Amino acid sequence: MKSIANLSMSAMLFIAAACGGGATGPADGGNVKVVATTNIVGDLVRTIGGPQVELEVLMGPGIDPHLYKASAGDVRRMSSAQVIFYSGLHLEGKMSEILERIGERGARTVAVAECVPEEELIESTGFSGLHDPHAWFDVGLWSEAVGCVAETLADLDPEHAVEYRERAEAYAAELVALDDWVRQTVEALAPEQRVLVTAHDAFGYFGRAYDFEVRGLLGVSTTAEAGTSDIQGLADFIVDRQIPAIFVETSVPPRYVQALQEAVRARGIEVKIGGSLYSDSLGDPGTPAGSYAGTVRANVKAIVTALAKPGQMD
Amino acid sequence: MDIFGDYTLRLVALGSAVLGATSGALGSFAYLRRQSLLGDAVSHAALPGIVLAFMLTGSKVPLVLMLGAGMAGWIGTLAVQVVVRRSRVPYDSALGIVLAVFFGFGLVLLTHIQKFPNAAQAGLESFLFGQAASLLRRDVVTMAVLGAAALLALVLLWKEFKLLSFDPDFAASLGLPVRRLDGLLTLLLVVAIIIGLQTVGVVLMSAMIVAPGAAARQWTRRLAPMVAVAAAIGIFSGVTGSVLSSYIPRLPTGPTIVLVLSVIVVVSLLMAPQRGLLWRSLRLGVLRTAPDLDPVLMHLYALSHQHPDDPDHGHSVAVIRTMSPPEAKVDAALEQLADRGLARRTADAGWAPTPIGRREAQRILDREAGEES
Amino acid sequence: MNESQVWALEVEDLTVAYADKPVLWDIDLQVPKGVKMAIIGPNGAGKSTLVKAAMGLVKPVAGEVRVFGKSRESAEGQIAYVPQRSTLSWDFPTDVIDVVTMGTYGRVGWFRRCGAAEKKEAEAALDQVGMSEFARRPIAALSGGQQQRVLLARALVQAAPIYILDEPFQGVDAPTERAIIEVLDGLADDGKTIIVVHHDLQTVPEYFDAVLLLNVRAIDSGPVGDVFTEENLRLTFGGRVGVLAASGAGGV
Repeated sequence: MKSIANLSMSAMLFIAAACGGGATGPADGGNVKVVATTNIVGDLVRTIGGPQVELEVLMGPGIDPHLYKASAGDVRRMSSAQVIFYSGLHLEGKMSEILERIGERGARTVAVAECVPEEELIESTGFSGLHDPHAWFDVGLWSEAVGCVAETLADLDPEHAVEYRERAEAYAAELVALDDWVRQTVEALAPEQRVLVTAHDAFGYFGRAYDFEVRGLLGVSTTAEAGTSDIQGLADFIVDRQIPAIFVETSVPPRYVQALQEAVRARGIEVKIGGSLYSDSLGDPGTPAGSYAGTVRANVKAIVTALAKPGQMD
Repeated sequence: MDIFGDYTLRLVALGSAVLGATSGALGSFAYLRRQSLLGDAVSHAALPGIVLAFMLTGSKVPLVLMLGAGMAGWIGTLAVQVVVRRSRVPYDSALGIVLAVFFGFGLVLLTHIQKFPNAAQAGLESFLFGQAASLLRRDVVTMAVLGAAALLALVLLWKEFKLLSFDPDFAASLGLPVRRLDGLLTLLLVVAIIIGLQTVGVVLMSAMIVAPGAAARQWTRRLAPMVAVAAAIGIFSGVTGSVLSSYIPRLPTGPTIVLVLSVIVVVSLLMAPQRGLLWRSLRLGVLRTAPDLDPVLMHLYALSHQHPDDPDHGHSVAVIRTMSPPEAKVDAALEQLADRGLARRTADAGWAPTPIGRREAQRILDREAGEES
Repeated sequence: MNESQVWALEVEDLTVAYADKPVLWDIDLQVPKGVKMAIIGPNGAGKSTLVKAAMGLVKPVAGEVRVFGKSRESAEGQIAYVPQRSTLSWDFPTDVIDVVTMGTYGRVGWFRRCGAAEKKEAEAALDQVGMSEFARRPIAALSGGQQQRVLLARALVQAAPIYILDEPFQGVDAPTERAIIEVLDGLADDGKTIIVVHHDLQTVPEYFDAVLLLNVRAIDSGPVGDVFTEENLRLTFGGRVGVLAASGAGGV
């Protein structure tokens, strides 16, 4: 079975390369051809790359990167790109083989989340030796990835190296300001109110950076199936700690959280669904949540509003 | 016992029980009509229906998706009939083809749909192996209503379905609308399948259809008990699987239910009285006449036919000796036959076969006749 | 022959094809009431197909079937069918009395259960074929002859005017064969019409009044004495049919 998968993947790569042309050196006409896997990474690359990059993002808004399988068209796009930026740390769980292959064939692949120094990453509880990949919700940490992207682009396209670095610096500063804003905003909640219950464990870094206790139903990857014991345990937790709101996510089916809500209701407590958080994806382009900064703001506002006591947020 | 004190467990167990009952009952008929593979084909064929239902309506409501699944499954059965009728492809190959083509198409659609914004929210991939823990109250209500309707139809048309499964030609000769009854029974099977898709998923659903009936057949001799036992096995597997997966963390519910069911099937095949493998080998060991006992039994049987109205009429050892070759140890053979209950001494100091011995002899005759033809 | 005589079963221009190959070609047959007719022919002659077409189990490409002068479709319940034993799955979980009771399903109607009346009829039919002690026996435990008798009892329960039996003597023991013939004779004496797909040339003159010789086409049909000749059998079976002399077929 695996050899058949290997064979067909090689075939796809071969065909895609034949159609797509090589990926060496800066393209004439100035634009660096870049592919980004998730739209979070895409947003970062777009901000730093500016008009000098021709960017294609594989996953649109609302798409779950844990489950995403690359199509033949995606492989074609990746083969004809000069660099592929992906999130890494096995976030794109079903694409790791393809990315490896493409890397072997000489294309440049950069795992953005792996640009963060390892000691700052959170160890994954479920999978030993691996890390929680959802690093972008610690705004401070994410700004360390900025330099990575800039250097890669500068390397590929020395002509515009200066512009990349300038934009990177400006963006890093923006992110520092955003980080401060988040810290200030969450001050509105008392420490015991800062409990975040979501569909899967996407907010570990958020919790660590901004002092939230975080519980996800599905664990670090959405490929797992929640068992009834997980729902029972979490329902008991919610009742114990009198948590006012739980959250669905835009890229994950809401059913599990709804089941959780029903379980809590059966224990006599009404917990409301505090809103839909952007966890593994940004919002729709063209809306305020279409950019990384906009997404972070939207998330934080939703979290704080839902967890606050009535009248607290005036 | 406080096992069912928990709401979520109660809900999942109830949903699984509904699934077990309907798939067990309706799967029994599929088993008897030798259509077990059809259940497999319909389950797999349901996948593109689920995805298409989402693509066309944008709805994530399970009922809508299940209707899509049902229609695709139903179309799958029609496709099988068309293939069989219009080509030389035999029935089981046609089932395999439809299964593979539809399921493959479903997988293609799943990959394609990834690009749709917010498609991930529909959780369509979870229909592959089920997502029992996320059953909501309204899901279980839907399942229960559909299941009850299917079982009611089964009860109302019980004798017609029984005759259809045993002898469709005779049914037609009585004037029963065999085509339509067949279609209805298949439809009920499709309903049973779509009830289960949320719990055990497309890939495992065929086990829920085939296994309870196969297991139940080993324990029963009439149809009503068989269907009842199959439903009971289904319910038991569903509830036990739910309970187990709720106490052992990270154990997915759907596969656990199927595992419990598999254990029951294996036990049934081995241990059931009369039909079980262990039983049969034990019985054969005791009853099986050694090759040199068979001829003596056959002679007894033949002799007894001369006096069909007088089962106590024995024949002397001497007569049997003359019928046998000189080296045959007739006396010892008769003693051994008596030990095994196949022959007995009669009041007139002769030997006669017992009813069991008669039956055994007839069976040997039938077997030999069957081998010759 | 009386032109206004109503035939029990009449087949006109019947043609049945299977995947473009003709299985029955242009069959004409008149079966008078109260007669015992054998259908004789080699393998693949279309004998089973003919009786199935007569009951509407198989759709003809052309031709008509009439039962007592009316179209076949309106003749529900007029024909009691005893199919070939080998086509049934005898491992089905049921017992003898249950199978026999199935013959009443056409009358009992939708949504209703079979009651005491049906049970009595089934028991009477079982008695008629000599299988009363086997009522509760699972059908998986029956011998070939016993199976055949059960199927016959099932047909008797319908109390229909026409009986069609497909190879009823195939693989049954002599006592069963005698018992079945006795029942059929009794039915014929009561004015029932009996049509049997038969395989044993030896017994045709003894058991039957009339015969149809079939090999995709109808070779000949009519009273046994007239039709069951060496010449006809040669036409039907093509080649030597050695059993003729012994069977006492009337010769030319």
